[in-house]
Amino acid sequence: MNRRDFIKLTAIAGIGLSIPNSIDKFVASVEAAEKADLIVAHGASPSKITRAAIDAMGGMKKFVSKGDIVVVKPNIAWDRTPEQAGNTNPEVVGTVVQLCYEAGAKKVRVFDRPVNDPRRCYVQSGIADVAKAAGADVSYIDERKFKEINIKGEALKSWPLYTDIFEADKVINIPIAKHHGLAKLTMAMKNWMGVMGGSRRTIHQRLDESLVDLSMAIKPTLTILDAVRILTANGPQGGNLSDVKKMDTVIVGVDQVAVDSFGSTLFGMKGSDLGYVKIADQYGLGTMDVSKLNVKRINT
Amino acid sequence: MQNLRRITQGIFLLLFLFLFLQTEAKGRDELGYPVKIFLDFDPLIFITTILSAHTVQKAFYFSLIVLAAAIILGRVFCGWVCPLGTLNNIVGAFRKKHSHAYNMNWHRTKYYILIFLLAASVFSLQLVGIVDPLSLLIRSLSVSIYPAFNYGTKAVFDAVYSSNIKGIVDISEAVYSALKKSILSFQQPFYNQSAFIGVLFLFILGMNFAEKRFWCRHLCPLGALLGILSRFSILKRTVSEGCTSCGACASVCQGNAAPDKKVVATRSREEWRDAECLYCWNCDDVCPQNAVSFGFSGRKASASMDLGRRRVITSLVSGVVAVPFLRVNPLSKAEVPNQKLIRPPGALEEKEFLKRCVKCGECMKVCITNGLQPTFLEAGLEGIWSPLLIPKIGYCEYRCTLCGQVCPTGAIKKLNIEEKAEVKIGLAMIDKNRCLPYAHATPCIVCEEVCPTPKKAVWFEKVNVKDRNGKEKTIQQPRVDLEMCIGCGICEAKCPVIDRPAIYVTSIGESRSKENQLLLMQQDKY
Repeated sequence: MNRRDFIKLTAIAGIGLSIPNSIDKFVASVEAAEKADLIVAHGASPSKITRAAIDAMGGMKKFVSKGDIVVVKPNIAWDRTPEQAGNTNPEVVGTVVQLCYEAGAKKVRVFDRPVNDPRRCYVQSGIADVAKAAGADVSYIDERKFKEINIKGEALKSWPLYTDIFEADKVINIPIAKHHGLAKLTMAMKNWMGVMGGSRRTIHQRLDESLVDLSMAIKPTLTILDAVRILTANGPQGGNLSDVKKMDTVIVGVDQVAVDSFGSTLFGMKGSDLGYVKIADQYGLGTMDVSKLNVKRINT
Repeated sequence: MQNLRRITQGIFLLLFLFLFLQTEAKGRDELGYPVKIFLDFDPLIFITTILSAHTVQKAFYFSLIVLAAAIILGRVFCGWVCPLGTLNNIVGAFRKKHSHAYNMNWHRTKYYILIFLLAASVFSLQLVGIVDPLSLLIRSLSVSIYPAFNYGTKAVFDAVYSSNIKGIVDISEAVYSALKKSILSFQQPFYNQSAFIGVLFLFILGMNFAEKRFWCRHLCPLGALLGILSRFSILKRTVSEGCTSCGACASVCQGNAAPDKKVVATRSREEWRDAECLYCWNCDDVCPQNAVSFGFSGRKASASMDLGRRRVITSLVSGVVAVPFLRVNPLSKAEVPNQKLIRPPGALEEKEFLKRCVKCGECMKVCITNGLQPTFLEAGLEGIWSPLLIPKIGYCEYRCTLCGQVCPTGAIKKLNIEEKAEVKIGLAMIDKNRCLPYAHATPCIVCEEVCPTPKKAVWFEKVNVKDRNGKEKTIQQPRVDLEMCIGCGICEAKCPVIDRPAIYVTSIGESRSKENQLLLMQQDKY
């Protein structure tokens, strides 16, 4: 058994093991669910904390209805392995896919438009294997599915975006928290670059505004920020294990601005340090001020 | 016998095409199939590589089987195995039957080509890949036929798709997705010179209309090598007394072996040419008197092949003379490297590289980004169709090591991921006149973002600049750490200044070269 198979197996096993544990938690969490804006779950098992956090939000049934087609959008941008923290943790992705199916989803689609070779990114990240094992429809980007969308934003007037996002009944964003040279940090809002077609490299000229424009156009049902491992330097790609910090955390919320704002605290920053969070807050896309939010922490 | 041969040929051709299709990245570190195995069985590459580079690639021990087979069974490789031979057969089958058979009797040409190639390789010039049938076939399919096939197929299905006719689109899309999973490539490949290489290949196939198996009969140097050996084979064709000289066998002969000539011994030109026999068994099958048979016999080789001493010497001398001719090129001067000649990671030092590279195109086929392209004259005429990386077309993927895995001769060393991370194929430099943060005070960090080294080779200097209105702003200007840069070219490939990138890689600093260096410290490494 090589290392990759091992990671895959443990990830799948982890997802399975987390089921019985979560059933009683589900009952307990229903009462508290109404009030929590953000759930911050901490624990050794990525699948357990993912499950616990979503349960604490009121359970996946609150977000995904029977027969829904759900897009689960991880970050699969780089040819990196899970321990290098360049892509979303595969176990978190697998668990979310599984939760969607448990909530009655008809189909769960998983895709991203990577920067490196898509085949290597899908395989080396471990996401393709784990998501497929959980029953997801894992596909590479099909150029035909990009359609010019009228964003009418500040920086982006219109852009080709991936139609699967708009055709799905529900969209769940699962970014990973990483350092970035221009945006400072890349988390939920920046993850939408993965559904952009065309020459997206030019948006860096007005990155903060562009990210807000993009995030205004896409309405995620739920945002799950993977902070099992975070990348503190040389992001967003990483590659140096000494830049990786193990946080064993996932942050779940409906408000993607709030998730990003809270996510910045993992790096010792504030939401207001991030240009796109500030602008998004001004536009009323979400809440930057974490102190106004009901943040519920759970440990598993 | 004919059917048995056809089935065997079909199996080998399908195996060849299957392995060709598998010469494509799937995302894992290895391909999982021995995709270069047909080349491993090629004794011509084996022998010329030993002569030119004085090295033995272990995989080529397979080719001894082909040599042994030729000594025992004659040119069975040509008649039963060779995929190019089979393709020639298939095309030749479309030739009008009973049309006047031109027997051009140029069959000696291939021996002169062989002698030329062997003589050149003794003096370190490796040109065999240009005409070796397997190299030629893989290269032509990789850079021309297969890309064109993909392009055409996609165009057809796209046209149906955009026609929006209900019912038909559903069917065509189902077929299309099945094709995508099986025989179409993951992404449309594009290659320099694809039309040129493709036309040469189609010309070779087209010559079957003039004379069937024209290539195999008259030009193929591997056929020549096996032909020479087959003269000693113990599987011999014999014609019994029952032969009425009806000539039925002459028109079905795959080779140019003059099977209707019974006599073997005399020095006349009218004799049976055993070195030209492809062991197709057609003459045996067709003989109305059942007078032809193949069987093992200890009979010695027949009379001389009558190549002509003068012509042999001419080919020999040409091969030798070709060496200085091709080498008096400024590229041979160590101080004038070609900035565009970015070789794949693991490529040997240029001279050693050219001694081994057989231009088979395996590396170009497998290259995950399509960045490896055939050279034209960047490496001199000697290096035509050898691989070079054009980062603008495709960069070198940091953790991909496939090109070294498929190289049959070790011209590109097989590296593991850790070794590859240490190999520089060139260095990136910034064109400040075009770079957005430098020339236009506009933020852009793409080169830094995509830089794959664990500690990024592209770093930022924060600079305060004023825009047109005098407004001051802080901007990050990229710089390249030349010690860390490996020249992978992803910065060039992803630079938003797409027509002439503001950061680009040239060959300087390449690990394989002692001379093409820039840094003082780097030079100490050699």
